This record gives sequence, C-alpha cells and structure tokens, in this order.
Amino acid sequence: MRKKITAKQAAFLLPLFLLLSVFAIYPIVTSAVYSLFDYRTNDQRVAGLYTSTNFNAPLFVEDCGYIAWFLEDDLTLLDDADQKELQRIADSAGELADRYQSETDVIKVSAGEKDEIASAISRLKADTLAVYQKNADIAFYNGSDKLSTIFGEMDSCLIESNFTGLSAYASLLTDTRFMRSLRSTAVFTVISVFLELVFGMALALIMNKAIKGIGAVRTTALIPWAIPTAVSALMWSYMYDGTSGIVAKVFADIGLIASPELMLLSSGGAMTAAILADVWKTTPYMALLLLAGLQIIDRGLYESSKIDGAGTVRTFFSITLPLLKPSLLVALLFRTLDAFRVYDLIAVLTGGAQGTETLSIYAYKLMIGQNNYGYGAVVVLAMALCVGVIAFVFVKVLGAELVKDD
Amino acid sequence: MQKKMLTKTISVIIIAAFLAIMVFPFFSILVTSFKPSSEIFGKATAFQVIANNPTLDNFRTVIDKGILNSIKNSFIVATLTTLYVVSVATLSAYILARVRFKGKGLVLGLILSVSMFPQMVVVGPIFNMFYKLDMLNSYFVTLAYSSITLPAAVWIMVAHFKRIPISLEEAASIDGCSQWKTLWRVIFPVALPGVFTCAIMTFIAAWNEYLLTLTLNSDKEFQTVPVAINALRTQFSILWGEITAATVVVVVPTLIIVLLFQKQIVSGMVSGAVKE
Repeated sequence: MRKKITAKQAAFLLPLFLLLSVFAIYPIVTSAVYSLFDYRTNDQRVAGLYTSTNFNAPLFVEDCGYIAWFLEDDLTLLDDADQKELQRIADSAGELADRYQSETDVIKVSAGEKDEIASAISRLKADTLAVYQKNADIAFYNGSDKLSTIFGEMDSCLIESNFTGLSAYASLLTDTRFMRSLRSTAVFTVISVFLELVFGMALALIMNKAIKGIGAVRTTALIPWAIPTAVSALMWSYMYDGTSGIVAKVFADIGLIASPELMLLSSGGAMTAAILADVWKTTPYMALLLLAGLQIIDRGLYESSKIDGAGTVRTFFSITLPLLKPSLLVALLFRTLDAFRVYDLIAVLTGGAQGTETLSIYAYKLMIGQNNYGYGAVVVLAMALCVGVIAFVFVKVLGAELVKDD
Repeated sequence: MQKKMLTKTISVIIIAAFLAIMVFPFFSILVTSFKPSSEIFGKATAFQVIANNPTLDNFRTVIDKGILNSIKNSFIVATLTTLYVVSVATLSAYILARVRFKGKGLVLGLILSVSMFPQMVVVGPIFNMFYKLDMLNSYFVTLAYSSITLPAAVWIMVAHFKRIPISLEEAASIDGCSQWKTLWRVIFPVALPGVFTCAIMTFIAAWNEYLLTLTLNSDKEFQTVPVAINALRTQFSILWGEITAATVVVVVPTLIIVLLFQKQIVSGMVSGAVKE
C-alpha cells in the first residue's frame, strides 16, 4: 500500500532535507566538481574553476601602471627620438590600463579578445625591449631586467581553462603516494577490525553468560568509546613515548622493538601502535553490539541443543553464529567503514609518518595543507568509491540488512 | 563440573584482564599529571607510580592556558548541536517511521549513505563555503556538525518510533487530533526515552568531533576540547605534564556523562544495528 505524502507531512521532513542538502549533498557535489579541475587556491592562475579563458583584469591594469611608471623613470636618459618612442609606449600602456580600469575581478574573455590582449602584450614587450637594446650602453634606473619581470607577470594575466576532466583520476594510478596510503589504510582496517571482532566476540560471549558484575564491566567498556578519539590518541602517544612511555618501555624490555624510541619512529612500530590504540578504543563498542545481538537469541535454543548433546563449539557454530549474523554483519560494516576513514587517531599519533599515512590524512594534507582542492577531491572521491564497494560487498554479497522498510 | 569451573575461571581472568587494559591508560595519565617535568623525563623516576614531589603545577598551567575556555566551547557547540539535531531528527523520523510514501526507501538510503560517506569529502567544500560566508572561527561550526550527527540521530529516532504501537495515534486521530498535535501531545511523551537517548548520542558525537573544528576554527578562542588539547603539543617539546593534566580535566565530563547515562548510551549504540 503506497500512499502519497501530504504537504503537512512533507513539511516535517523539510528541515532534514535543508540541512542535508547544504552540509552533505552540496559539499559532495562540489567535491565532484573540484575533482574535474586543476584547482589550487595558492596559484592565481588556477585559483578558480575556469572552463573558458579568463583574464585577470585588475592585475593587468596594475602591471600596465608599473610599466608606464618605470618607462617614465628611464625616459630622461635617452636622446630625443627614443624619448618619443618610449613615451609612446608608456602612453599605450596607459591606454590599455584605462580600457580595463572598471573591472574589479577576473573576467571571462572570448577567443578574439584573448588574441587581442596577447598581441597587445607582445607588441608592448617587443617595442620596449627594442629601445633598451638600442641603448644597451646606458645605465638605466630600471632597465630591461626589471621590465621583463613585469612582462612575465603580464603573460600570466591570461588564464587558460583549468578544466582537466577525468584525467586527474587516471593519474591516481601512477601516484605512488596514493597507492601507499591506500595500502596503509587497507592494512590498518583489516587488522584492527579483525582483532576487534575476535576480542569483542570473546567478551560478548562471556558477558552474555555472567550476570554478576556485568554492570561494572559495561560501564568501564563505555569510557574508551565515549572519550574523543583525538584525546585517546594523545593518551596513547604518551604511553608510546620513547623516554617516558610505559608501553614503549615494556615492548622494548620484552624484545618486540630494539629500543623504546622505535615505537613511533619505525614503520612497523608506528602501524602497530595505531592499530593497538584503535583496538583499545573500539573493542568495547564491538563487544556491546555483539552482546545486544546475543541477548535477542532465544535461550530455549541453547537448552535444546544441550539436551541433544551438542558441545560448546558445535553450539557456537550451529546456533549462536547463524543467529548472530545480522547483528554481526551490521557491526562489522560500521566498524570497517569507520576504520577505513580513520583520521583523528593517525593525525594525532604519527601525523602520517612512518608508513601510517592513510587516505584521509593524504587527502587532508592535499586540501588544507597544500590548498590543492582539485587533486584532494580526486583522492577523497576515490576513497568514497572504496567505501561504496565495501558497503556493496557487505549488503549484496554477505547480506547485511540495513534499511528495513516495511 | 570441573570443566565448568575451568571455563568460569578463564572467563573471570579474561574479564579482569579486559578491565585492567581498559583502565590502565587512564591510570597512567592520572599518575603522570601530578609529576613535575624533571620526574617525567628522569630515567629513574619516569616509571615510578607515586611522584617524589607531587605537584599541582601542571593543572595550574593548563588552566592558565585556557583549557576551561575550550571546555566551555565544547559545551556550547555540543549543546547547540544536540538541540537542533534532535528537533530535526524527531520531526523527520516520526514521518519516516509512520507514513508510507513513494520514495521513502530512497530517503532512507540517502540518510544511510551520508552516514557512510567519508567525512573528508565535505571538509574542503565546507571550508570554502565558510570562508566565503565569513563564518570561520565562530560557533557556526555547529551547523556543519549536522553532516555527521544528523543521519545517526534520525536512525535512532526511527527505531524508537517504530516501537510505539500505532493504535495510540489511531485513537488520537479518532478523537480529532491533528498530526502536529498527535506528535506533540501523544507520541512525544511516550517517545521521550528515545529522544533522550538520541540527545546523549548526538551530544557525545559533537563533543568528540575533531576534523571540522580543526579545519574551520583555527582561532584558539573557538577551539573545542579535542583540538585545544592537541594544540598543547608544540613543535619542539612535548610537555607531558601539561598534556596529562589537561587530559584528566577533559575526561571528567565524559566520565560523568557515561556514569549517569550508560543505559541510554547502550540503547543508542545498538538501535539500528540490532533487529528486534
């Protein structure tokens, strides 16, 4: 039975849609657009999304002004004929400036206009340099060197389209740093989720049996989950510290690492450190989810399997695991996705050093660190694609049930 | 019988080990926070449990450095987020749990995929948006939190609304109650525990948020706890005394929340993940 939604009911959904549109859908679409451009905000030629040729008019006007001004400085050192010539060049630079005086921002130009501006710049340049070359023996105040710098800057006023289409996606395949961070992310995700599953399952099975004292265990388990990841990572970075960290000292004493300093400063050590800190923080979460799944299994089933003479192991694999499967898959999916997009933990613990740079860290460094929003968006969307694949495998192949629409 | 004893002993040992491992980092932090710097870095004293010269200097220093201001910021931001996210989630979850309409599966799928998307996707565009609108370094960051907290909040509320018998509304509608009145007067009071669970989960999520605050609020004045505490690490030295003291201070609010609301937290954690 499908009904049409009434206007009043739709109004209840409106705030949700507004917020999601502005803070989730719009940014995602914008990222997709960024990824099609060579968009870097620290370089004026690619600091916008330009699909056609653009012209940085304010910069051009400024440059014309400088040229006229510099030329007038040098004017007095020349003979009459050259003075006239230089004056003419300075005047024409002034005229060019006047033409775009009113523009306050980068403007779009047609192909014809582009050629016109380009030829005006090269004429200006050629005429000026001719005069200077002719009088090479005179020591000018400014000279051709200074003017060449300005002409160079003038050339960059014409901004070509920075639309690159999908080519940046292709360059991902040859980007070794991307491949390395993909591998680190995969290693981190697989190992930490596996350990969390094993420990979480063991704890859940025990907590499901023992009734006494379960409250205290549950409370304790909630604390690591509830504190900010950035804070727990900081706590662990203290314990991994080379001089004062107890964990680093113990690991060195029992011979797992050669010296305490290597805990965070060797590639194997740093990844182990990150995984252990993650397992510490999220095993309780896994255990509590699995415990909730265990608690809805009918106790009668265990009794009948006991009467039938099934052992503990047999009972676990034929009753507990199949009945736990729905909760197990959902818990695993959420944990896998969380581990895959890990940022806080690694950023605080190692900053991505020693082979722990995950995709999130790499993308963040590109976007916020280097202002390279175009390629950063490409990395981030490649990450989103991986997330999509993981979710697809869990839902379609393994049969995790997420949306129950009845 | 002997086998049962053995299993029980092993269980107790595992649980004890688990508790010890969970608590140990906090213990280690607490111990260090009372040590003067010389003892933290001294070879002989670094691993001593009780400090030779216990001091409160570390706590004084971090309070001077404005850790209380960042706790205040965290409270403001988390409370604002909780207020609007829970209101929005309650309204929409009520419709999503009760009304059948075309495209509902699509809406649920959209909410789910937003919760699964890597948060990193939204950071760049949101930064540029906030920059253009001149909203960097302000409490407006709470609006950006909706991308991480809203989907989960809607999910929790839908699960709770589905548990309320539909006969309640049918009775109300026979009595001539409007949809809004039904929600406000009849359903909301019954759903209050669920709303509360949702509020706690949203509050914790907002309290713990790191990435967006780090990016959008670089000004110390507006930094929340997770960002401010990491800013205590300087480029050249790591003052563990101050960092551990600050950690002790900022973990206390979380501890209180967990002790008071553990039932709601567990219920919020499992709703959506466990099918009843």
